[in-house]
Amino acid sequence: MLFWKRQFPLFIAFVMGVVFIFQYYIPHPYSEGMLTEVSEWLRIITGFAIILGIASLSHLHYKKIQRKEPGWGYSYVVYLSMIITVVVGLWSGGKEEGSGLGWIYNYTLVPLQGTMFSILAFFVASAAYRAFRAKTREATVLLIAGTIVMFGRVPLGEYLVSNIGGLAEWILIVPNTAARRAILIGISLGVIATSLKIIFGIERGYLGGKE
Amino acid sequence: MEGFLGAWVGVGLTLFIYSFLYKDNPFFKLAEHLYVGVSMGYTIVRIYYDTMVKSLYQPMVSEGKWWLVIAALLGLLMLTRFIPKITWLSRWSFAFVVGFGSGVVIPRIISSYILQQVQGTLLPLASVGEGGFRFGLAQLNTVLILVGVVTVLFYFFFSIEHRGAIRGAARVGIYFLMISFGAGFGYTVMARMSLLIGRIDDLLLYSSSDYGYATIVLSILIILGLVYWERSSRKAVKKADMP
Amino acid sequence: MRSFAEKMLAIDRRWIFGLIALATLLPLLYPVGLPIRPSPQVKNVYEYIEGLPEGSVFLLSMDFDPASKPELYPMAVSILRHAFKKNLRMMGMTLWVTGTGMAEKVISDVAQEMGKQRGTDYVFLGFTPGSSAVILNMGQDLLATFPKDHYGVPTSELPVLKGVRSLRDVQYAVSLAAGSPGIETWYVYGKDKYKFELGGGCTAVAAPGIYPLLQTGQINGLIGGLRGAAEYETLLERKGKATSGMDAQSATHFMIILLILACNLFYFVTRRKDTRRR
Repeated sequence: MLFWKRQFPLFIAFVMGVVFIFQYYIPHPYSEGMLTEVSEWLRIITGFAIILGIASLSHLHYKKIQRKEPGWGYSYVVYLSMIITVVVGLWSGGKEEGSGLGWIYNYTLVPLQGTMFSILAFFVASAAYRAFRAKTREATVLLIAGTIVMFGRVPLGEYLVSNIGGLAEWILIVPNTAARRAILIGISLGVIATSLKIIFGIERGYLGGKE
Repeated sequence: MEGFLGAWVGVGLTLFIYSFLYKDNPFFKLAEHLYVGVSMGYTIVRIYYDTMVKSLYQPMVSEGKWWLVIAALLGLLMLTRFIPKITWLSRWSFAFVVGFGSGVVIPRIISSYILQQVQGTLLPLASVGEGGFRFGLAQLNTVLILVGVVTVLFYFFFSIEHRGAIRGAARVGIYFLMISFGAGFGYTVMARMSLLIGRIDDLLLYSSSDYGYATIVLSILIILGLVYWERSSRKAVKKADMP
Repeated sequence: MRSFAEKMLAIDRRWIFGLIALATLLPLLYPVGLPIRPSPQVKNVYEYIEGLPEGSVFLLSMDFDPASKPELYPMAVSILRHAFKKNLRMMGMTLWVTGTGMAEKVISDVAQEMGKQRGTDYVFLGFTPGSSAVILNMGQDLLATFPKDHYGVPTSELPVLKGVRSLRDVQYAVSLAAGSPGIETWYVYGKDKYKFELGGGCTAVAAPGIYPLLQTGQINGLIGGLRGAAEYETLLERKGKATSGMDAQSATHFMIILLILACNLFYFVTRRKDTRRR
């Protein structure tokens, strides 16, 4: 039984990993056909994974109501709004154009999500005022680069100082590219190392559970 | 009519979220939880139609792709995560997905992010042609990019002690990183301000007579609501403090 | 002076919120309309679309959700107008579930404005989950990935997709991305193997991280943030929401710069007094 619980999943990960590393280098129609088929399966499985995420969130709010935690009443708002959206969505046949689902999307989801992230503008300003101080040489360099980019990427800045736009662009094209490239190479090497660890069963965190 | 009602609902929800700028309050909490619920509901609808119906049911029934039932089974196995006795079955699905992802990413990331990025760094540092030896701005930029990439990589190499020449290289790398983070900060400010500009623009649109001055009316109502809530909270706190 | 500096450093943040709100509101109410200079990165995307022959297959992947609408929606509008003006065969889609409604709206609205017919001039494929798996699947067999379009019409019957079997048949793809999956995903799982030309549009937060791909030519151009969208509108000679937002962008940036300068000034005043006391 332990084999099916522990070794078999590691075996699946190993086989899938090795097969699809080599698939990249084999342009044969059977190899390409296998990639087509498995990527189609992945799309379907990912749909179920998203349901898993939603079920998990629903369970969280259910526990909140059950334990009467602070703000538990708002969890009913979550359930009610979710159920109404699903019912309206099914009634609309999944179509947004001129339907109830479209109304909910355009007049609740769009303003809510848009505003939730736009509120960060205020906090960015407040944080910049409180924390962005030139305490060290490195912080000063960061501050100067940030100021030049903020100044140079708006029409008013380019109007006041004619070459500032070019300088801001240069900062992005040269030093920024160099640093980000190094970070990208480092992350890529890390991804390769982690992927190899997963394939060879060294990294097992994705399996979850104790057994 | 739908647009008029929708404008009032949209503006109301927008102002509920912005009321957080004063302090955390019931209007914000209501909007926040509504957002979670509507997102979940919308996602369920999309997954049902775009995955279950279009990618699974219809190909199986209309095109005879019966073998997709294996994918459906693997997907269902994922949901056993919630049943403690058979939660181990979900590992098969996760192993399938994670194994595929790990295998597929390795050659592609080597090609896209390592080989091509290194190739883009190792460009000619000077040009020698009909006009003779040339070292202009383009060549200077190439040198700076090479120096930047190498020194930043040195900075991130923590397995060896940063001493001597390595320390010098790492110090140069830090300055490249600081310039990059400064540029990142500038662009982050630009992004956040753009989002705010977009929302304020919509609020201005809905403040017109075409939409019944929705923004102005709802702003006043919400401010009054916050004042009432603040007063009630203070009264409740005073009462609780009294012996 | 010191007590004033200390007071200012400890100021209630709601005053700062108020200043930002004013800096956003006033330019929107009283616009100035300063000129916008298109950058080479945005020009590259514009000129590539401009150079595509009529009937070329153009894929626009709107990989964003309502949170990034102010930055990326104007980009989508401009690019769609340009593509329809050039009579390209338009394929729209999204890899982000909550972006489906917005993607559907923008392509339908612009198509109607430009007098284009669904099925003949454009197709909206919609959303399907899987991110990298979707791109791989499209690279292998596009019609199997989307057997029906967003409206339930079989894609094999659509005139606009005639001769399009996979991503290899796409002449140009642009990903308007708010994060991942986005431009990098399209490159790593798409262009690297299936060799179509790829351009990008992204939020300003993501833009600095995409520059390494731009420098190597892995993407041919980049439209970064609201500023990039405004530049595209300038090139298209059709001003929209992005251009009208640039005055407010200028004002808010200057406000932030002033706040940073002020905080550093007050900080140095308080620090100088501390040093003298010692």
